[in-house]
Amino acid sequence: MAKPIKFDEFNDNEDLQALFDSIAAGSELPMHATKPPEPVIDASGDSDDLQALFDSIAAGSEVPMRATKPPEPVIAASGDSDDLQALFDSVSAQVEESKVAAPAAAGPGGSDDTSGVFSSLGQMTRELHDGLREIGHDEALGEAARRMPDARQRLSYIVKMTEQAASRALNAIEIAKPMQEAMQSKSEALGKRWGKVFANQISAEDFKVLAADTQAFLNDIPRQTRATNEQLTEIMMAQDFQDLTGQVIKKVVDLVQNLETQLLHVLFEAMPPDMNVEPPAGLLNGPVINADGRTDVVNSQRQVDDLLESLGF
Amino acid sequence: MPDPSKIRFLVVDDFSTMRRIVRNLLKELGYSQVEEAEDGAVALQKLKGGGFDFVVSDWNMPNMDGLQLLQAVRADPTLKHLPVLMITAEAKKENIIAAAQSGASGYIVKPFTAGTLNDKLVKIFEKLEQSPA
Repeated sequence: MAKPIKFDEFNDNEDLQALFDSIAAGSELPMHATKPPEPVIDASGDSDDLQALFDSIAAGSEVPMRATKPPEPVIAASGDSDDLQALFDSVSAQVEESKVAAPAAAGPGGSDDTSGVFSSLGQMTRELHDGLREIGHDEALGEAARRMPDARQRLSYIVKMTEQAASRALNAIEIAKPMQEAMQSKSEALGKRWGKVFANQISAEDFKVLAADTQAFLNDIPRQTRATNEQLTEIMMAQDFQDLTGQVIKKVVDLVQNLETQLLHVLFEAMPPDMNVEPPAGLLNGPVINADGRTDVVNSQRQVDDLLESLGF
Repeated sequence: MPDPSKIRFLVVDDFSTMRRIVRNLLKELGYSQVEEAEDGAVALQKLKGGGFDFVVSDWNMPNMDGLQLLQAVRADPTLKHLPVLMITAEAKKENIIAAAQSGASGYIVKPFTAGTLNDKLVKIFEKLEQSPA
């Protein structure tokens, strides 16, 4: 039957890698027997719909969104595999048909829209493929595409570094805090006893004991504070990830910008004039990076509380 | 206000660092009984097993997100009484409203302070005491 979707060392799905390679090199598309993707977000963060799209293009399947039966791979010498060629041809035919027929109203959901999107996307991919080859730009895009797994690796590195730093800091804190708390309670206890001394409530014998205890405590303080300082230094050192991750982030940003510029160029040329470019709304957006000019987000806990209060919660 | 050391918390977040921070903050406030779950599905399973008095949950998590967990808790007759405090980076007004309408007991937006966490916990406990048995 079909084998499960595999990830190579860069966490790149084999089929996604195949897609990038084929766009880059314009060469034969390595074929795999793919099964329909599991309905989860894969390790690279691709939504299952995007993954399915790429899988179906890679497998040369004609079924949009959910590839069922991939055809036998035929590798042609010309550069495009027969299956890729057939896919593009069928997509072109679909696009022609939909242009002739009355255009469907744009709206969310519905199988008409998904096959329409698939057709448009397939068409754009084809135009990208051909256009890039014609203008010799496939080299540049290929290079960018080849660097995608590298980008993923870099981002994984960043996650790893920040996680390690957080762990180091938290460990140091968990060591230092009890020491501080112990010093605090010991000094409070001694302070109380000294209070009694000054209130004349303590015997001579007890006073001698108190003096000895106090001296012992004072002698031990340098050890405690030195240990705490060591932990503080450890926390400081754990911040060194910032420099390393900053450099790596910059590289990834450059890479992504480069790729985006090239793709946008083709995308805008191929985009139907009345296409809606609003990003999908949703409730899973993550932290707000830049709130400037936005009225749909809150900027502080205070605003959260005010909003809830205004609604009666 | 109930005895803090007796209250059994479930902290739900897909980032272990955040779970650790919340655990430490709760410990500082006197709440020493804390268990963890890395997503809503695991959390719901643990909750159904019983033994929890309070849920602190992130929103953006795989398998079952915080809103879905909240809704599942409120829909379950054995769990619907549980206070659920959201601690999340999601800052759209839509999010806050959706959480409130689904029955969240409180909403803390990240990054947050220990003081804010304490304030919200106190507020929730006060409300619990006031509401009829």
